[in-house]
Amino acid sequence: MKFRTRLLISFGVVVLIPLLVFGLGIRREMSRSVTGQYEERVQALVNVINADIAREGDRIGARLATMKNSLKDDNNFRNVVVRGADRSYVLDYAGNAMRMSGLDFLQIQDDEGRVVSSGHFRNEFDRLGPAVSGTTLVRAATAEGPFLTLVTSDTVYITPSHRFRLVGGIAVDSQFLARLARDPELGVALALPRDSTRSDSGKLVVGPPLTVPYIDATDGPGRVEQARIEITRSSALLTALQRNVNLWFAAAVLVAALAALLLAGWLSTRISEPVEARIAIGDIARQVTHDVKNGLAPLRNVFRHLTQVARDKPAELPEVFAERQGTVESSINYLETLAANYAKLSPQSERKATDVNAVVRETIGPSGSVRTKLAEGLPPVSADALVLRRVIENLLSNAVDSLDGKNGSVTVTTEQGKGIVRIAVSDTGRGMSKAELDKAFNDFYTTKPGGTGLGLSIVRRLVMDSNGSLNVETEPGKGSTFIVEIPVQ
Amino acid sequence: MTLIIPLAVSGACAHPRTGAGTGGAVGEARATPDESCLLSTGAVSARSRTITIGLVDPVDPRHAPIGRNDAERIVFRHLYETPVRVDCDGHVRPELVATWTKEDGGRRWTLRLRDGAQFWDGAPVTAQDVVFGRGGAGYTLGALESRAVAVTFAKERDDVPPLLGDPGLAVMKPAPDSSWPIGTGTYWATSATTTPQEIRAHTSQGDTLVFKFAASGDARDLLDAGVDLLVTRDRALRDYAATLQNHEVVALPWDRTYVYVTAQAGGGSTSFDGLEQAARAEARRAEGDFWWRDFRACGIARDSTPPAPTGQRRILYARGDPTARELAGRLAALTHAVATGRAPDDFSAALAGGKDGGYVIALPRVTADVCRSAKDLLPSWPATFTALVDTRPTAIVRRGVARWTVDQDGTVHLAP
Repeated sequence: MKFRTRLLISFGVVVLIPLLVFGLGIRREMSRSVTGQYEERVQALVNVINADIAREGDRIGARLATMKNSLKDDNNFRNVVVRGADRSYVLDYAGNAMRMSGLDFLQIQDDEGRVVSSGHFRNEFDRLGPAVSGTTLVRAATAEGPFLTLVTSDTVYITPSHRFRLVGGIAVDSQFLARLARDPELGVALALPRDSTRSDSGKLVVGPPLTVPYIDATDGPGRVEQARIEITRSSALLTALQRNVNLWFAAAVLVAALAALLLAGWLSTRISEPVEARIAIGDIARQVTHDVKNGLAPLRNVFRHLTQVARDKPAELPEVFAERQGTVESSINYLETLAANYAKLSPQSERKATDVNAVVRETIGPSGSVRTKLAEGLPPVSADALVLRRVIENLLSNAVDSLDGKNGSVTVTTEQGKGIVRIAVSDTGRGMSKAELDKAFNDFYTTKPGGTGLGLSIVRRLVMDSNGSLNVETEPGKGSTFIVEIPVQ
Repeated sequence: MTLIIPLAVSGACAHPRTGAGTGGAVGEARATPDESCLLSTGAVSARSRTITIGLVDPVDPRHAPIGRNDAERIVFRHLYETPVRVDCDGHVRPELVATWTKEDGGRRWTLRLRDGAQFWDGAPVTAQDVVFGRGGAGYTLGALESRAVAVTFAKERDDVPPLLGDPGLAVMKPAPDSSWPIGTGTYWATSATTTPQEIRAHTSQGDTLVFKFAASGDARDLLDAGVDLLVTRDRALRDYAATLQNHEVVALPWDRTYVYVTAQAGGGSTSFDGLEQAARAEARRAEGDFWWRDFRACGIARDSTPPAPTGQRRILYARGDPTARELAGRLAALTHAVATGRAPDDFSAALAGGKDGGYVIALPRVTADVCRSAKDLLPSWPATFTALVDTRPTAIVRRGVARWTVDQDGTVHLAP
């Protein structure tokens, strides 16, 4: 992984993690704030509903009080009650009174609770009505079906011995509940005992439920139970709100991350450029050292040989010098070319028709330790002779080193393939394990004391630059074969 | 015709009978009205050329000649004629038929059409017009000659049977350019004389009968506008009319019985309290020998098994009949059911299906033709009938304008 990439990731992590933590914190705070506001609104609504129900009860009570006075003064009603006159007047009384008073429910019950007149359901007379005390929610019967009503009651004496109870109320329908709700985002729902038709789908109950006395009077007087007035909000609204928050949060994180990455990229470029330059210079320096060592090694050998001859056989010195002069000149040329290439700081290879066998022979020289099996009549390849020599020198150097000074052989073989010329450098040395082979071409990987770890890396790059290929066959303890294939001219 | 007849409210009208006839081998057709059936409306010096009748129910000409409500019965009674008419005392009166002769011990009767009987378009009424497509259970009609009709009964009859006064035997024919069928009555009406506000019927002598609807929906407006006759079952309207100086309030015969029809076995024994008080119409506990209790002789095909109930405790009634609605409501209160109104046609379909908990229907207390009424009004499934209440309408009549009489079925019309 490049230094710049590591730097970029580091920048990203350093910027993104705090950003993410910051965003999550804001989101949590928003949620807490919204929840707090909801709770305040719900509590306010609870107070309003309580006040509204009490106010409605008072209004109904006021109408019943007016009705009570009117009923006490009604001679026809009194006649029916006291003298048993035509009952139809009483039966119709509650209907007329209910319409005039604006109520939706009105019963006049006798002392036993029997309905003597009903406004909302004229023909329910003689049935037992609900025993209402205070403001109560009643499920009342009509001919067409039941309905809910909020009722309260009052007592009237027509005579000292004829007591009646007035039970009046207003309809509790969706409009009534909507009036209670007021807040457009909150709803009010009723939860009645044993109400199997109620559906809460899509609604969330929020806040504490209010309770109100409830009587189911559809099949008789009923008994007092508790109904709940629940404050609800639409789960769809909440889901939409959460989705919007999450969407905007994700968008904010994405934009921030993008900005952070761009900033990190710019910063890492600014920081990494000089560092990478220094690393490149170091690489070059190591490569130069390596190449120069390779060029100087033959010269050292020639001079040691000449020194030995001058000391032991001075008379043969001119002959030996003439014999080794080619090696010296070749090494000097190599070093000069190397220097010229490095002088350009961009070692451009110069591909041209090259005789592979000639390069092999020139590289090996008169060394007796390296065997050759060179095929005759090889076509010239398209390569830089100097590059090819550097490749072969590196491979030979590694092969000789792999023998570890023990008996063994190093063989260079050339042969023609389909459109290529194959150069194989084999040794019978220690070979490589798979783990070693996997890392063999990495920069600076070496198993040799004092090695630069650049040999095979340089070989691979040079071969690739020549449009060739490099393959390795190796087995631990039995040796390795490096196979270079260079396309023919 | 100028008659001065002191009238009194007919007590007999409140107790109509069935089966009374004129008797005799040869009918003495009595054209004059039975005095006991005339309504007490004060002295009439001369009938007004234009008489107005207020209607509180809708009228549909397609229902002719069998009216489905009081308004239709009054209108159709003035426009269409049956072979005979049965007055409030059950006496058979000539109408389209002038005389009748008994033969074969009463199994066969020959009816002779009134001289000059003709349709509104001037075409003479023939025996074929009377018999065409008609007949019923227990009797057949045949044309003897152009103006003589033979009626053959399965059993011997001493009197000409009142069933010849059944509205189903009214003679009429389709009109190509009017929604009103062409009848044979004194008064005629067409689509051109009909508006949403009123129906105008005329005679060839230039008399006019105006049937006026309550445009505002409040029948008191009709009374205040000065109608000469208004038949109502609304006690509040009756009480209002009693305060008017020029009007007479006359109780008509008990003519309708409201019946609770269920598929439940034993439903007829159920006792319901307070039904008379539940109805705002003038009502009494149902009494009498109800014709719908036995009509096996009619040979009407009936289903053998009751329909499968839907499980809903629903009592249906025909919308537009306030008494049926009130009774259904009372039944709902007593049985913890629900009362539901249906448009008349929908109600008829539901009654035929029989899948609801019960039905409140109004039946005529008397009928000229039991078999026709049973076929038209009763369900075909094995039902239990519980008679609830009898009701009767009230005639509100302007004094001194015209003489009004009432038939056995309770229909009021101008006296001949």
